[in-house]
Amino acid sequence: MNIFLQELKANRKALFFWCFGMILMVSSGMAKYGGYKASGQSVNQLISTLPKAVRAILGFGELDLSKASGYFGVLFIYLIILATIHAALLGADIISKEERDKTSEFLFVKPISRLKIITSKLLAALFNVVVLNIITLLSSVAIVDYYNKGPSVNTEIYILMLAMFLLQLIFLAIGIVMAAISKNPRVATTKATSILLATFILSVIIDLSSKIEKLKYLTPFKYFEAKDLIKNLELDPVFVFLSLIIIIFLTCSTYLFYQRRDLSI
Amino acid sequence: MNIYRHELKSFAKSTIIWTCSLTVMIVLYLLLFPAFTKDIAVTRKLFSALPKAARAALDLDLDTFFSLLGFYSYLLNFVVLAGAIQAMNIGAGIISKEYRFKTADFLLSKPVTRTKVMTQKLLAALTLILATDVVFISSALAWAKIMIEEPFSAKIFLMLSAILVFVQLIFLVLGALFATVFSRIKSVVSVTLPTVFALFIVDMIGSILDAKNYRYFTPFKYFDSQYIMKHAAYEWRFIILEVVVIACCIAASYIIYLKKDIASVT
Repeated sequence: MNIFLQELKANRKALFFWCFGMILMVSSGMAKYGGYKASGQSVNQLISTLPKAVRAILGFGELDLSKASGYFGVLFIYLIILATIHAALLGADIISKEERDKTSEFLFVKPISRLKIITSKLLAALFNVVVLNIITLLSSVAIVDYYNKGPSVNTEIYILMLAMFLLQLIFLAIGIVMAAISKNPRVATTKATSILLATFILSVIIDLSSKIEKLKYLTPFKYFEAKDLIKNLELDPVFVFLSLIIIIFLTCSTYLFYQRRDLSI
Repeated sequence: MNIYRHELKSFAKSTIIWTCSLTVMIVLYLLLFPAFTKDIAVTRKLFSALPKAARAALDLDLDTFFSLLGFYSYLLNFVVLAGAIQAMNIGAGIISKEYRFKTADFLLSKPVTRTKVMTQKLLAALTLILATDVVFISSALAWAKIMIEEPFSAKIFLMLSAILVFVQLIFLVLGALFATVFSRIKSVVSVTLPTVFALFIVDMIGSILDAKNYRYFTPFKYFDSQYIMKHAAYEWRFIILEVVVIACCIAASYIIYLKKDIASVT
């Protein structure tokens, strides 16, 4: 319990800034919605006739920007980028920082098992991720509601945030497993973020050509797309299953590797 | 000169990895171009049937948009994103490493002035970035010449590629300034990644929403590829802004670094 509280305290300032950033993004993004709605209608029809690659390049995707839900869907892509960066950095940092800051000698001689240490750290990271998600959810509901004149889109927002939560967990798991398997604790964050950057860029490429559509299993950014979520109002079970497998597999590997880790002092 | 050489050596490996990844990225991207042109053959017809006013509303110049240069300039956005992360990593890393590895005492007790330390470090960072850019741009141009059959202007291709250099320079000095102001950086990536992505998101959202003044806030938009393709020139205001930002950051870094209290290892 002490480790859990200690980690919460250590991450509290960063968490505050991340939450602040998320709120700022939702509010500044939605602020433009009012202006866009008026002129958007005719352009929107035009855009829907374009092929996928062209729309991707223009930055529109397949969302109906004249509706509050579609508009929020565009913001969603950027929200998940921020949220996953937070998760990956947090995961890698929370495990590797003891060795990096040379506090592992202090922590690991205490009468608690490694299993317990990792579990407390993971719970603390999970807590941070959940808080960020809930803050984003609440601010989105409030801000979108403020600008939205049409029917309520709260259900859409709930679904989108649920998807974001799964993505956060995936990247949190990637972060911790990188910290657990890297020999040098300093490279853990670099490795986790390289994976993030690579998968993000892969998701951009997939938008451009229909030929490589199958590659979408490789990048979590393609698992849950705003357009499908808003249309179907449910998460694709195949990808939920895949996400859960990834999360469980990576978390188990973390325990496995960290238990046997030769701590660098 | 020792510090300069030492820094080059210690960042050599990561720079090589970055350079290779950026180059591989553009090679893969350009491989997609034939598929892309096939996809858009239909669009081109559809577009030319549209009334002029509608095309103007979308703000598209058909010929540049569907050409190799249009395609390249879109993909370059993401290369520039990655490049900005690399540059800020080097800028912040090269200054903050003395704190992180507890070597500040060692370095600063040597008979070199702080000005010299800073200068050599910045020069080393500059060299690394320029090396990356030279390799990236020349291989991109060569690959485009080999791969793509349609003729394109090499001059504009290079002018577009130079956006990478300009953006990297800004992020390099931003990183250096950040590391001098906040000395206690434990992990470089956790600082640079959110910063770069935040500015990148401002760029993306701004261009979708067609906001007017956001361009001044994000270095990613100082150089507009549409403008470059149309006029074969950069916008002077933004060149000046770029120079001013870089000069301010460097000057501030020197002033702060010369005066600040650098804690010794305890």
